[in-house]
Amino acid sequence: MNTNRPYECSGITPSALTRRELLRTVSAGFGWLAFKGLATAQAAADSRNPLLPRAPHFPAKAKRVIFLAMQGGPAHQDTFDYKPKLSEDSGKPGVAKGGGAKLFGSPFKFEQRGQSGLWISELFPKVAEHADEMCLLHGMNTDIPNHPQAFVQLHTGSSQFVRPSMGAWALYGLGTENQNLPGFITISPPLQLGGSQLFGSSFLPAIYQGTRIGQQRADVGDASIGNLKNEDLPTGLQRKQLDLVQAMNRELVAQGGANPEVEGVIESFELAFRMQGEIPKVMDLASESAATKAMYGIGNKTTDDFGKQCLMARRFAEAGVRYIEVCHAGWDQHQQLTSKLKQNCAATDQPIAALLTDLRERGLLKDTLVLWGGEFGRTPDGRRPDGRDHNAKGYTMWMAGGGVKGGLAHGATDDYGYQAVEGKVHVHDLHATMLSLLGLDHEKLTYRYAGRDFRLTDVHGRVVKEIMA
Amino acid sequence: MRLLLAAPFALANLAAAALVPKAAPAAAQLDFFEQRIRPVLANKCYKCHAADSEKIKGGLLLDTRAGVLAGGDNGAVVVPGDPKNSALIKSLKWVDKDTQMPPKEQLPADVIADFEKWVAMGVPDPREGDARTAKAVKPPIDIEKGRQFWAFQPPKAVAAPAVKDTVWPRTDIDRFLLAGIEEKKLKPVADAEPRALVRRLYFDLIGLPPTPEEVGAFVVAAARDQAKAVEAVVDRLLASPQFGERWGRHWLDIARYAESTGKERNFTFPEAWRYRDWVIAAMNADKPYDQFIREQIAGDLLPAANDAARDALKIATGFLALGPKSINEKNREQFRMDLIDEQIDVMSKAVLGVTVACARCHDHKFDPIRQADYYAVAGIFRSTQTLYGTDNLGGKNRNASALIPLGPAPAASAATPESKPAAPSVTDLDARLAKMMAADPKRAARFANLSTAQKEQLAKRFTEKFSAPLAPPTKANKRKGAYAMMKGAGPKTGAPQCMGVQEGSPTDARILTRGEVDQPTDTVPRGFVQVLSTKTPPVIPANASGRVELADWLTSRDNPQTARVMVNRVWSHLFGQGLVRTPDNFGATGEKPGNPALLDTLAVKFMEQGWSVKQLVRSIVTSRAYQLGSAHDSAANEVDPDNRLIWRQAPRRLDAEAIRDAMLAASGKLDLTPDPSSFVALKGDAYIGRGVKPESFTEYQSSKRSAYLPIVRDCVPEVLDLFDFAEPSLVVAARDVTNVPSQALYLMNNTFVREQAAALAKRVLAQPLDHAERIDLAYQLALGRAATPPEIERAQHYLLDEARGLVSVKGGDKDKASELAWTTFCHALFACAEFRYLR
Repeated sequence: MNTNRPYECSGITPSALTRRELLRTVSAGFGWLAFKGLATAQAAADSRNPLLPRAPHFPAKAKRVIFLAMQGGPAHQDTFDYKPKLSEDSGKPGVAKGGGAKLFGSPFKFEQRGQSGLWISELFPKVAEHADEMCLLHGMNTDIPNHPQAFVQLHTGSSQFVRPSMGAWALYGLGTENQNLPGFITISPPLQLGGSQLFGSSFLPAIYQGTRIGQQRADVGDASIGNLKNEDLPTGLQRKQLDLVQAMNRELVAQGGANPEVEGVIESFELAFRMQGEIPKVMDLASESAATKAMYGIGNKTTDDFGKQCLMARRFAEAGVRYIEVCHAGWDQHQQLTSKLKQNCAATDQPIAALLTDLRERGLLKDTLVLWGGEFGRTPDGRRPDGRDHNAKGYTMWMAGGGVKGGLAHGATDDYGYQAVEGKVHVHDLHATMLSLLGLDHEKLTYRYAGRDFRLTDVHGRVVKEIMA
Repeated sequence: MRLLLAAPFALANLAAAALVPKAAPAAAQLDFFEQRIRPVLANKCYKCHAADSEKIKGGLLLDTRAGVLAGGDNGAVVVPGDPKNSALIKSLKWVDKDTQMPPKEQLPADVIADFEKWVAMGVPDPREGDARTAKAVKPPIDIEKGRQFWAFQPPKAVAAPAVKDTVWPRTDIDRFLLAGIEEKKLKPVADAEPRALVRRLYFDLIGLPPTPEEVGAFVVAAARDQAKAVEAVVDRLLASPQFGERWGRHWLDIARYAESTGKERNFTFPEAWRYRDWVIAAMNADKPYDQFIREQIAGDLLPAANDAARDALKIATGFLALGPKSINEKNREQFRMDLIDEQIDVMSKAVLGVTVACARCHDHKFDPIRQADYYAVAGIFRSTQTLYGTDNLGGKNRNASALIPLGPAPAASAATPESKPAAPSVTDLDARLAKMMAADPKRAARFANLSTAQKEQLAKRFTEKFSAPLAPPTKANKRKGAYAMMKGAGPKTGAPQCMGVQEGSPTDARILTRGEVDQPTDTVPRGFVQVLSTKTPPVIPANASGRVELADWLTSRDNPQTARVMVNRVWSHLFGQGLVRTPDNFGATGEKPGNPALLDTLAVKFMEQGWSVKQLVRSIVTSRAYQLGSAHDSAANEVDPDNRLIWRQAPRRLDAEAIRDAMLAASGKLDLTPDPSSFVALKGDAYIGRGVKPESFTEYQSSKRSAYLPIVRDCVPEVLDLFDFAEPSLVVAARDVTNVPSQALYLMNNTFVREQAAALAKRVLAQPLDHAERIDLAYQLALGRAATPPEIERAQHYLLDEARGLVSVKGGDKDKASELAWTTFCHALFACAEFRYLR
């Protein structure tokens, strides 16, 4: 992507169209451009296809994102945030709610990994081999230690209001490189905890919302986007049928007073038509070699599902999808942490490691931002034995690829992992940083809605420059 | 968590407290603090500067003396005795923009003067403790103050405002709206075209399109007298049985109606459909809304004229039993409290539009609802028995319950579980299994190897169901499966039963610390939410659960919310958005109404007119505002892009049910007879994913109205799911409207859509008409309007072109190719945006 030319839609130059204005042409009628006398070839093209790639605000370090969402709140003390003092004081009274809770030293061993010597627990032996590519964010924090609110905030920045999701913002800001695929795909998301909000576009044009493949607790191998083939019509003849539909739709738009959504309908039919050719190809894992499948753990009961998700994510990334999310649920260990956490890590360790290896080997890791983590972390003590409770004040997420420093542990929690004390990164800061890696200024990526310019980061957000390569 | 995060501050505070010598302040000084300073700190500062603030700003805590003296991230905030050099005073005086406090609204000068005086006195402050005990000194929620919030004030009717344009308004609704529009120097757009209007009325009131004849008749009548024509159509539609199917479904969204438990293990509720039918019937009968609510909360305790009426009242309480359940929960007490929590949540959101369930673990963060209020209500439900059935085949269900028998009560105590008919013996069961083998050996095979113990358990579980004679193995029975037959599922076999609630043993609930079932503290008497409490709340007798009183309280004319919430919902179904756009949350985190006077006036009128939903609908749709066109207006759009003023009827997409029903209506395949039960009832008790495939629900096909499709949690029929059906585990007062490629793919490729298109093609081809007339007829049937000459011409070209291309697909058969071309043309009409948008 040519990132040197000034962003022509930034609204900084008075004569240029703002991104928002462009979108308004999409949402308020094709006639709008002509009406405003602002038509340029590029703008007109953009207005017909709001998904075309757009230059970022400044040179981007990452072109796409793969978010490995670990829903439930993985315990940082047992995975990536080494707390020897917690182990030392294990069994001593904790300070948690109601009293009575005892500090719970991690039942898992930690080891320094890679040249960088990052401490990583034995639960992630294969991921640990990528230590020198990983940037651990130990100072993560969020607002509310409740699953639905925190998971929604992780995705949209707000736990209280329905807001566009991070993927929708990225797509709005950058468009997407493959016009035959959705630009934002979410694989196996939960249908609760915000449901479609997690990948919704809210006030952004509907074309930017995520396309869901499968759902949580359902086998991703069976997941598909349904209705990809018309049994009556060969493609050419279906195209003619679609032309008729679109002619009718455009007339509806031209009548004025049409719902802005009708233009969205036109877009989504075109996208759907292209998708039905392309998606089956990308989702078909059969063309992958046996070695690749084995690397991802496909075919092995423990890793099969998440392995398929990760491999699909790599294929979508390779095909030019801007924002991909995969999801593994069940990290909410209030009890039976030792066994349940082990299961989760076993299910995800090999697939994640394979994804990183695969991306690197294909030269994609350098401009793909991989993000791992959940909606919050866990307390050093739990009210139940062998368990930890929700902790919004300090936890770990990690990044790899996409212009972040590898082998870096940024920030820290206190000795027990109660709360972030150094290098704090709030979810808003995370979002600001992700946008920045994508070449977008989180303060400039705005959308006017109901009289106000909205941002992903609302009035918050600090770009964590320290972690950038 | 609160205590954890406060720990470092606490240490700092302790250190600071230790350094400052304690000179005992005079009582007068402490009085000064209590009267002038503490209330201001509590109201203006604690939000960001207390140990339990959502977010502590600047590391500064002002909720203890220690905190004040310790200062924040930027150092000390007070120098005792020296107001001039105290950062606190500078902040209050807004000396520096970056540190001005409170940040948005400066305190009055006299209050600032009080603070100066307080600092000059040496900061007298009796507040003990470090941040850890800050909670103890935090003033409790002030209910009286909470009542000042608009939503907790009783609605008051006001006269419609004066408007400049006195010709435009038809009703008071119009005057309320026009006043707002005129204030912004705007004008409403032109009225809707009669064709658009009649289509809107049909879809809004009954969820179906008008037939071409109905459109034609309306256009003629409207040309003579539009207002009269509208009234005639509205009265007819309100009286139609389809009204209840449409508006009943709106309530089912609220009631999170579904026919399975959902969650980790998804078990069917084969009797849930009875509640669905009760709701539809209640809407059709225009059951007064207060009575409608009362029956759902306490129907079993209300007087009934006869057995049928008593059955209906029992079924109504299904509202409280239908919620999602973690049926595999090991901890019984946890299961019970989760069930109660769900009941409180659905009751408070559905009826009151507030989120009482937030107070399960702590006082409500945003609304004046105390944790004690929650447990007062919880006591009512704890004194209630919830019966939802479910099966335990396979032993995966740890929390199955009985159901409530319907029909004439054989004895006074028939409803109690103790008086169940005796369980059939294992011999009986064997006899039945033998019969079943004959009917359906394949399915019966799974019962072949049961142990005697398993059989005993099975026999016990289905006691009531077995009491009916086994139906002979007819062809239909075989089709439904002997499995269902054996269970007595379905309405025709077995004694009828329903889901619902009945009285348990009356008991008060204990407050659970942070909602944890193993941490009970104080007992709270059964009662209601204080901030919403009426002047004289009903008294709950010691020997009753309190549901009757709860129902009375909810539907009291003094309850500020009940009428308002319902009026707002009805409005949102007719305008696409409510006057309050967060229709299930009227609390502090919800939105304020766009036109509060109108909302209140409508609410009062609603109650005065006997809580009649039909009257309310009628009063709204006969307004001129409802009948506005959908034209775009740049000036109005600039000022009010969200159309909160209602300067037009914004175009709306049909909801999922209407899209599907409209296809069936156009194809001529729509079967308007109500489903006598439900596909889930025919399936009987089942654990979805084990023995019953999710696809049997998601891909279920029927030509009945969508209101009768099976609604199994996490297995909602595809067409409903794709077009933003209400998530059936949640109270949904306003559905999403999304526009995604998966919807386009459905409309382009799905078999059901293609079948309806083929049926529509057959229908128009069967008419003795020429091609142009047939094209026009297809437009009328699908879009409710005539085709224009250019449209007819384009369609003719399309048909020729496509037929030519399809000849080879159809093996050279030109007739078949032509017929398929017609199908694809009709299909295009279903796929185009006009089909699913109301203008």
